[in-house]
Amino acid sequence: MLTSIPSIRKKQIIAVTGVMLFGFLLAHLSGNFLIFKGPEALNAYAQFLHDLGPVLWGMRIGLIAAFVLHMFFTALVVVENVKARKARYAVTKDQGEHRTLLVRLMPYTGVTIFAYLIFHLLDFTFVEKTGFINGVDYGLYGLVVNTLSNPIHGGLYIIAMLAIGVHLAHAMQSVVQTFGFANKCIRPKLVQASMVIGFGIALAYCAIPIYLISCAGSGCLVK
Amino acid sequence: MKLHSNEPDGKLSEKWEKHKFQMKLVNPANKRKVKLIVVGTGLAGASASASLSELGYDVHTFCIHESPRRAHSIAAQGGINAAKNYRNDGDSVYRLFYDTIKGGDFRARESNVHRLAENSVKIIDQCVAQGVPFAREYGGLLDNRSFGGAQVSRTFYAKGQTGQQLLLGAYSAMMKEVNAGGVKLYHSCEMLDLVLVDGKARGIIVRNLRTGELETHAADAVIVATGGYGNVFYLSTNAKQSNVTAAWRCHKRGAFMANPCYTQIHPTCIPVKGDYQSKLTLMSESLRNDGRVWVPKKKDDTRKPSEIPDEERDYYLERKYPSFGNLVPRDIAARNAKEQCDDGKGVSESGLAVYLDFRDAIKRDGRKAVEARYGNLFDMYYQIIDSNPYEEPMVIYPAVHYTMGGLWVDYNLMSNVPGLHVLGEANFSDHGANRLGASALMQGLSDGYFVIPSTIGNYISSTDLPKVSETDKAFEDAKKECQDYIDKLLGIKGSKTVDEFHRELGLVMWDLCGMARDKAGLEEAIKRIRDIRDQFWKDVHVSGEQNNLNQELEKAGRVADYMEFAEQFAIDALHREESCGGHFRTEHQTEEGEAKRDDENFSYVAAWEFKGVGNAPELHKEELVFEEVQPSQRSYK
Amino acid sequence: MAAPKTISIKLKVWRQSNPEAKGEFKTYQATDVSPHMSFLEMLDVVNGDIIKAGDDPIAFDHDCREGICGSCGAVVNGEAHGPKSQVTLCQLHMRSFNDGDEITLEPWRASAFPVVKDLVVDRSAFDRIIAAGGYISVKTGSAPDAHCLPVSKVDADAAFDAAQCIGCGACVAACPNASASLFVGAKVSQFSLLPQGQPERKSRVKKMVWQMDSEGFGNCSNAFACEAACPKGITVDFISRMNREL
Repeated sequence: MLTSIPSIRKKQIIAVTGVMLFGFLLAHLSGNFLIFKGPEALNAYAQFLHDLGPVLWGMRIGLIAAFVLHMFFTALVVVENVKARKARYAVTKDQGEHRTLLVRLMPYTGVTIFAYLIFHLLDFTFVEKTGFINGVDYGLYGLVVNTLSNPIHGGLYIIAMLAIGVHLAHAMQSVVQTFGFANKCIRPKLVQASMVIGFGIALAYCAIPIYLISCAGSGCLVK
Repeated sequence: MKLHSNEPDGKLSEKWEKHKFQMKLVNPANKRKVKLIVVGTGLAGASASASLSELGYDVHTFCIHESPRRAHSIAAQGGINAAKNYRNDGDSVYRLFYDTIKGGDFRARESNVHRLAENSVKIIDQCVAQGVPFAREYGGLLDNRSFGGAQVSRTFYAKGQTGQQLLLGAYSAMMKEVNAGGVKLYHSCEMLDLVLVDGKARGIIVRNLRTGELETHAADAVIVATGGYGNVFYLSTNAKQSNVTAAWRCHKRGAFMANPCYTQIHPTCIPVKGDYQSKLTLMSESLRNDGRVWVPKKKDDTRKPSEIPDEERDYYLERKYPSFGNLVPRDIAARNAKEQCDDGKGVSESGLAVYLDFRDAIKRDGRKAVEARYGNLFDMYYQIIDSNPYEEPMVIYPAVHYTMGGLWVDYNLMSNVPGLHVLGEANFSDHGANRLGASALMQGLSDGYFVIPSTIGNYISSTDLPKVSETDKAFEDAKKECQDYIDKLLGIKGSKTVDEFHRELGLVMWDLCGMARDKAGLEEAIKRIRDIRDQFWKDVHVSGEQNNLNQELEKAGRVADYMEFAEQFAIDALHREESCGGHFRTEHQTEEGEAKRDDENFSYVAAWEFKGVGNAPELHKEELVFEEVQPSQRSYK
Repeated sequence: MAAPKTISIKLKVWRQSNPEAKGEFKTYQATDVSPHMSFLEMLDVVNGDIIKAGDDPIAFDHDCREGICGSCGAVVNGEAHGPKSQVTLCQLHMRSFNDGDEITLEPWRASAFPVVKDLVVDRSAFDRIIAAGGYISVKTGSAPDAHCLPVSKVDADAAFDAAQCIGCGACVAACPNASASLFVGAKVSQFSLLPQGQPERKSRVKKMVWQMDSEGFGNCSNAFACEAACPKGITVDFISRMNREL
């Protein structure tokens, strides 16, 4: 059954699910930014999500499905790609404006992101949402602050977000090409936009641990 | 033996229609049982394979390349003629016919040429329907340009890659039939022999170039479309693998070789640079539409071209041929370039080149317009010569390009060996002593798409063809002969490479049988060719073994055939005591140095019968009868 | 200092006597190489020496030697058709190299293009892809007058750009995944741009992509190395178009 799916369709499935995951990233980021507003805003947002109940579960299932499909088809495609060149070149040189580097990194950045995701869920999802700052429980807010201001957790977070940036830098324009809407007039712009959006999102995410690490212990996080 | 063209009688313009009606047809239900072998997948072979399979025949097609799309038709640049008269400039089937007969210096068969002109119109329709992306005008209709030797714009083109586009069209039509099961394709197979049973062509022996194995294939008829023999000169614009082997082995089995001396020397090629040179590159003749050919007036002028003012340049074609100017036919343009260089006015380091200048065209139409027309050719030139033709004139020199001679065929494209049909450049039929630009593609496709599908049916239905098998003695014997030949080549283990012999042969051919020939030179050539051939069989070193991909062995077989063919070439050139088209005998020229024909004594096709290696071949004549046009001295003044 | 008239090159060439053999690199010295030589002429000279030394010459595919037949091709120092853009190996000239350079020469490496011998690979997978649907099904003799179907110049020119493909396989060789998308995309686009190609438009792309997949080519990852390697400058826009057509 799987072999009867044309290669292009597989890529398009990866692209569609990638776009869904990208949407999640945006939503997650906008939620995360409430951290700058303070504990009440973030915790209220968490409560709001929690209160969505079945809707939240629907979203979660959709997200998990997107994630699984994205990874599954990527794995399939990667295996095919490896099989397509069993004998490797002795000398390789990037052709195509060094874009091949970004492409070669795609599965690695993907795996990095996945590995971190598990770590991330252990950090924030499958734990009690409590976090004491100066002896006061700030709930989720406290958990986030305590975890990410830890240099190891925060550092891993930053590494993972940079991986997302590299991943997105290629992926965004790749989606347009895979769906057949790219051409040489818009391609240079697409490539630039892809870079800007990809690394923009990564940096935006990174702003959080950087902020928390730099403020940790200064007492400025909670009044 | 008197040769008959087997053309129908009647009015010239009605002959083909009449013939098509008179020919017997094969019952559609029986066609699947008729097995046809096609050798070669250039324009003629691919188009024939596709068309015959569409009719329902069981077609088996062989090519020497790893893919049929690599046949050398792909390299044709300029265009394809068709008497569409889309330009309203007075073109017609008759005018195309007339131009072709005249361009061929009245050495072609009228009926064949007229049929070619008729078919030209349908070829364009067919190719457009196949999706061949011809150049178009802004209105969406097809563009035309004029091409060497014609005063009307009847040439259809696809930038400088017309041959490629037409070949890919024919190739994909054939692949469509491969998919449908009508064509069985054998790639990487070289035909080594023709098998005759009861005097009829019933099969071939091929060597699988990958495994080295000799294979036998039987059929009801054999169609050979294996191109020309320009590589007998070693340096030519032909692809490295273009060869005379298939045709020559047919010849050795009894098929007559007609007019082998008619060779087209193309005037606009990139000059030779060094003795390592492996081939010559053609620059499309279309360049002469806008480029002006000149040499310095002063001998041995070493100034840069841009430093030579106009009054010190000799635009010799425009001066000598005011009405055609730079667009004179190829033979005339080529010979004039040689004259200028012989006269010491040649340019470039070797002195064997003339300028082709686009300065005035760029001034007149702008660089952009010139780029649109010739951009890819200019790029190609730049790659090879490392000089920019937008700024400096190109240097060009004539090179062997096309061979008008080939296996003799009648009006049905069948050779004197029943069942052996020959198409495209491999036959001798339509171009006489000189081919006009943009006519080779036309002929290949006319033969393949429109002629052979009709005439083969007549042969099949009017001939008794008992079943033969690949295990019959005739096949086994032929296979054994091929095996012995290969063993002999591999067994010599001499001291010189195949290429060295080929180069040596080529030099003799170029010097003595090239653009200008004379009696003494040709006699010398025959002697030297024999010497080289003897040496070859004593001292060639063919490395490797048979049962593997062995490119040296492939080359050796081909060069061995060239060694035999070259002698016949020179004999033909020696016997033809006249100048016509691509055959220029210095003894026979007008006071102005133009070719002087002898219609009284040489208005015939010289078809040679093989009588053994080193023995004089026997001449058979097919008289050429001109009912429609009166042979006249060609004048392009 | 004036450039030397000839140069010397050290060649590391992949030698593999048959499809099953293991294969290895062998080193050859090419001396007195004129910068005006084409790459293949340089190989001819090296082969001449190898033959005289009693060894088997390097097998490489070649034919027209003017960049149109698509026969030649090898990976030169990691680049398909060598360091110059938009030329085939036969059009690459030795002036692109310097005296003393070391050149590693490898065949196209792709599972769909098995090595036949040395630098010669079997590209018949391309033929099978074309046979699967790379044509317009029009029988000889059934075509209407050529001017029945006007085609806008823009479309005709774009179709020509796609049709220029010479089937050399450099796209596959250069692709990090050995994908044939550029080759297939170009053929699909040529016909989908032309009115003649419309009736079979949908089925053509499906059949050709299916055949491409079953030949064992990799998937397109939009690295565009194919475009950089293509000697005819065929753009990845045609891959984009194919993606849309499917």
